[in-house]
Amino acid sequence: METSIIASCAIRGHQIFLNGTLRYEAPAAASLTEFLVGAYRHFGLSYPKFFKMDVLCKLAFLTAELLLPATGILDRLDAGGIGVVLANRSSSLLTDLAHQQSIQEADNHFPSPAVFVYTLPNIAIGEISIRHQLSGENTLFVADAYSPDTLQAYVAQLLAEGSCQACLCGWLEAGLTSHETFFYVVESHEPSSTTRRPHHVPALETLYAQPLY
Amino acid sequence: MEVYVTGIGMISALGANVPTALDGLKLGRSGLRPLHRVATRLQGRYVAGEVAFSDNELAMRAALPDADLTRTTLLGYLAASEAWQQAGLGAADTNRTGFISASTVGGTGHAEQHYQDFLDQKPTPAFIDTYDNGDSTEFISRRLGIRDFVTTVNTACASSANAIVLGTRLIQQGVLDRVVVGGTDALARFTLNGFNSLLLLDPTPCKPFDAQRKGINLGEGAAYLVLESEAVARQRGARPWARLSGYGLTNDAHHQTASSPNGYGLQLAMRQALRRADLAPAAIGYLNAHGTGTANNDVTEGQAIREVFADAVPPFSSTKPFTGHTLGAAGAIEAVISVLALTHRLIWPNLNFEEPIADHGLVPAQALHVAPGLQHVLSTSAAMGGSCCALVFSKP
Repeated sequence: METSIIASCAIRGHQIFLNGTLRYEAPAAASLTEFLVGAYRHFGLSYPKFFKMDVLCKLAFLTAELLLPATGILDRLDAGGIGVVLANRSSSLLTDLAHQQSIQEADNHFPSPAVFVYTLPNIAIGEISIRHQLSGENTLFVADAYSPDTLQAYVAQLLAEGSCQACLCGWLEAGLTSHETFFYVVESHEPSSTTRRPHHVPALETLYAQPLY
Repeated sequence: MEVYVTGIGMISALGANVPTALDGLKLGRSGLRPLHRVATRLQGRYVAGEVAFSDNELAMRAALPDADLTRTTLLGYLAASEAWQQAGLGAADTNRTGFISASTVGGTGHAEQHYQDFLDQKPTPAFIDTYDNGDSTEFISRRLGIRDFVTTVNTACASSANAIVLGTRLIQQGVLDRVVVGGTDALARFTLNGFNSLLLLDPTPCKPFDAQRKGINLGEGAAYLVLESEAVARQRGARPWARLSGYGLTNDAHHQTASSPNGYGLQLAMRQALRRADLAPAAIGYLNAHGTGTANNDVTEGQAIREVFADAVPPFSSTKPFTGHTLGAAGAIEAVISVLALTHRLIWPNLNFEEPIADHGLVPAQALHVAPGLQHVLSTSAAMGGSCCALVFSKP
């Protein structure tokens, strides 16, 4: 079997790219939430739970929402055969702060279950899995920065041992001053002579660094 | 390539190390006490599995009195050191060695003590640097001299079980010869108030799998296992405690916090683990269940157990009434407790159980009993975000 990167999707600043093409852009003056909700409307999505999600999950949800249909894997693979492996630096920091604020002052104490739920970064994997009914392997690494080496090695092993036939992978970040997603799908397939992007580290580096992203 | 457990270390409400925890388990002595160490409005209202030492006492035990470390780091360092020493390991050797640690809380407990000062722009200890989940991992790996592979995993309450799976794979692939795997989490106002807002805390000692269960008791602690390849373990004459013979990792794909009605993700994880271990369900002699004591978990997990084992459910228990639910550390703490069950051929009781849940009618082990033929133990974890994990430990 061979493994290839079959599609990619990224959110950088107020722009969303699918396979290297700009698909949506919000004005620079828009807030992050305005940008995310604007994208949801622009793509005509209908998933009311989106509005309950925190920023990290909204980022993950939108990226997966554009990327997965573009791959066709949801149609040709069993949901148990699709893994989700993400890495992240700031965990759920933005929501952590909101929760901390809610318990900070004795006379203004209002912790909310709807906030606390999102104080874990792997909830984003849960949201994607629920939306697309993916029951395959999933994990989330905490890393200083996007590190294709770790992700590539781990995902290559998942595919090699047959734990999954395809894997949604990437970097998911919502920090105090910036946010970013870079997701791609890797799939196992029969050896093929047609041009494909092999699943190796240089290809991931190139993809991540391409000017439009 | 077989993967062996050659060392174990644990600090929890059951005590400072593995021998103390073993005594507690044998005597049926719960580590749950009225919450008193964490400075929170919830003191006096709930019981919890707190580690019975202050941060200073932990630092003294770790011989690191002046290092300004978070409680999460201190707990993790103490447990990882115990595992390392217990495996008979000393200064770094030439074997490719990794450290994979899980944490969901990281330095939150430390940060929240200084947060107001930080907001007021007063000088604060370096808490921003120690807030993230990876900080304890970096410190512990440096102290143990481990540098070939170091990473942190966060998949909520399945985190440290997930770390064990990753370490096992890296040995099986030949990437590492040895890996210390586990997790650490300290109690914090942050988590206590969060779980309280979800209405998931039981003010009294929890009653997993009981019809009248009311919820979770949170706990804290850390546990690590030293995993080694068969070749390295044999070459250095290590004494193996157990063989890690199977694992399964899945997603329940149902809800952020609730499990699907029939525990679909857990079923898949248990079946995967059995398949990898090449075992029939009947080979499992003890199941250390996730059993948090919440209404949702214990009914859905029971349904998953019924689906996998049908009418031949093995002796099982949740050991959370001993330790509390230690979140990111729970998978590793229960892995150590499972290895102890296998080693001593003992089945730990599910404390506080009285009446089965009507939906599945499962009755856990209620007293300590000896299981002379115990060969394989299954341990399960389920998490917010849908992550499910199952591990099989077998006699070496």
